[in-house]
Amino acid sequence: MDLSEHIIMRELDVPDINDFEVYRRHGGWEAYRMALKEKTPAEIVAMVKESGLRGRGGAGFPTGIKWGFLPKGVYPRYLLCNCDESEPGTFNNHQIIDRNPHQLIEGVALSAYAIECHTAYIYMRGEFAAAAITLERAIAAAYRAGFLGRNILGTGFDLDIYVHRGAGAYICGEETALMESLEGKIGQPRLKPPFPAVAGLYGKPTIINNVETLANVPRIVEKGVAWYRSHGTEKSPGTKCFSLSGHVNRPGNYELPFGVPLRELIESPEYGGGMRGGRPVKIIIPGGASAPWLTHEHLDVPLDYESVAAAGSMLGSGAVIVLNDTVKAPHVAYKMDEFFKHESCGKCTPCREGTHWLVRVLHRIAEEGRAAPEDIPTLHSIYNQMAGNCFCLLGESAVMPIKSALTLFPEEFEAVVAASRHHPHGNGHGDGRHGPVIPLTAKR
Amino acid sequence: MLLETHRDEIEAILSRYHSPRSAVLPLLYLAQDTYGYLTETAIREVAAILNMPPTDVFEVVGFYTLFYKRPVGTWVLQVCDDVPCCYLGAEELIAALKQRLGIVEEQTTGDGMFTLQRVKCLAACDRAPVLQANLDYVYDVTPERVNALLANLRARAAEARQRGVSGRFAEDFEWGPDGALIRIDRAAPYRPRQFPAAPPSAPPEPEPVPEADAGHDQLADRKGSPL
Repeated sequence: MDLSEHIIMRELDVPDINDFEVYRRHGGWEAYRMALKEKTPAEIVAMVKESGLRGRGGAGFPTGIKWGFLPKGVYPRYLLCNCDESEPGTFNNHQIIDRNPHQLIEGVALSAYAIECHTAYIYMRGEFAAAAITLERAIAAAYRAGFLGRNILGTGFDLDIYVHRGAGAYICGEETALMESLEGKIGQPRLKPPFPAVAGLYGKPTIINNVETLANVPRIVEKGVAWYRSHGTEKSPGTKCFSLSGHVNRPGNYELPFGVPLRELIESPEYGGGMRGGRPVKIIIPGGASAPWLTHEHLDVPLDYESVAAAGSMLGSGAVIVLNDTVKAPHVAYKMDEFFKHESCGKCTPCREGTHWLVRVLHRIAEEGRAAPEDIPTLHSIYNQMAGNCFCLLGESAVMPIKSALTLFPEEFEAVVAASRHHPHGNGHGDGRHGPVIPLTAKR
Repeated sequence: MLLETHRDEIEAILSRYHSPRSAVLPLLYLAQDTYGYLTETAIREVAAILNMPPTDVFEVVGFYTLFYKRPVGTWVLQVCDDVPCCYLGAEELIAALKQRLGIVEEQTTGDGMFTLQRVKCLAACDRAPVLQANLDYVYDVTPERVNALLANLRARAAEARQRGVSGRFAEDFEWGPDGALIRIDRAAPYRPRQFPAAPPSAPPEPEPVPEADAGHDQLADRKGSPL
């Protein structure tokens, strides 16, 4: 399946498309100019709603409907662009910015106009220092051309866009934690409701959209709803920038219409180019670290929100990690949960303690090759205590890798137990007995 | 001192936000680049500028990973060890860096040039193994390229000291066809990594299961024991 025209990565073959003038010569900023002069904000919201654009950050919530949640007549409003991408396997946002920063800025500006907001922040992950500078330069060019600032193009619309760099915390990608961080606090999530659309940044109505979501908006406005809906599937219109990584020959970002089969993404010479060394696929993580795993049996699943959900996983951020048969399932779960443990903000006990104990038990199994028979029920017990009990989705996500590993590859855990059966230190505590796996006084 | 030396920049930062407190991260970056790391005095200075309780600023500094509360090297090397980096050579890269620099993670070399850190996810999984040097991305760093990388960074030490460790003037680097480190032409379309086509290899030998009492009470040892 090929795209005649890219939506998110448009005009990529044009040299210097990240230059303001080049982008303009290729039709850039036209949708924004036309919208400001000819369309009301409500008309743009209606277009985005009809286009069926769904949030690309992970949840897949319809963008136009989200915009519609803003309470009428309450100002100021804020637009936040979420560029705090930092999950293993997810790497398209900073490349969208590197390749074509003006498309994102035009998307932010158009969306700000649609929701009647005059201040927008692009919250960037702290590590994306180079991308932040690229974006700052591009924003400066847009100000110079009169597309940002006061009384834009003589229409009376004012808009300022600022780049705000985080400082290294994955949880700040969660929308309420992002707002806390932007307000100068530590990035811990807030209780919802109230939802950000009602009381967000500085207690004002706030819309938070992902980079990729906002990059779609200029094309929808320029080419119309029908054109946009001609891509993808009925329930997942448009294209997705799939981030493919792991043991494939050509890892990278590939923009494809929703509904492309997983097999095509992995095997097509234009995209993944097949598995490295021709080794078989063992684990496919189709939507970022928090997505339940799939296996080689799911290679024919079409990549859209509904089909991936029907296969028992989720499309999430479209970060497809493919691992071959050289990896061990307990080790993959250990590395994933090590990430979640590191990034847990510490606000709620199930996540803070649960991720800690998952990693502690998994380290023994995956890195030291030792396990007591009680370790497997313990892992089940920890994830059951975490699932549904964490304050935000980070803790819920941490459950997925271990749950997937125990469900799909139980024999790999049992093999470690069997191998350590006669080990005097099998439970990892060095006391020569299979005592309690989680001791009351933990050695830290 | 911060306020006197960087008054214009601080005012520009403050003007972006409804509440001064929102400027805490940019001001901490500014302080870090000015002093090399965040001293207690620097943190209190930021608190005074923003009229925030100092404990709140200490809390922020402790929460985020890109702030350094103790001296770090001219170059802070942060290697991603997450899935999928760890399966594409991150561990080998970390081992090579440790061996070459003579330090372990979180340590700084004696000459103050390099600090080594393991980090979680740099969002560049397609170019694994990857590291950041003062938040400059360096892609496809295989152990064989470590010597060239360190030599390159040493040569750019003066530039690094001028720019600071917070990446406020960051760039990206990749390996050229001749193996030299080159700055990425950011106008160029992004190129996914190409692996050389290799014939399917035989599956690896199964790893031996560790003996229950490996290294402690082997029969062979007992035979050799005078007891």
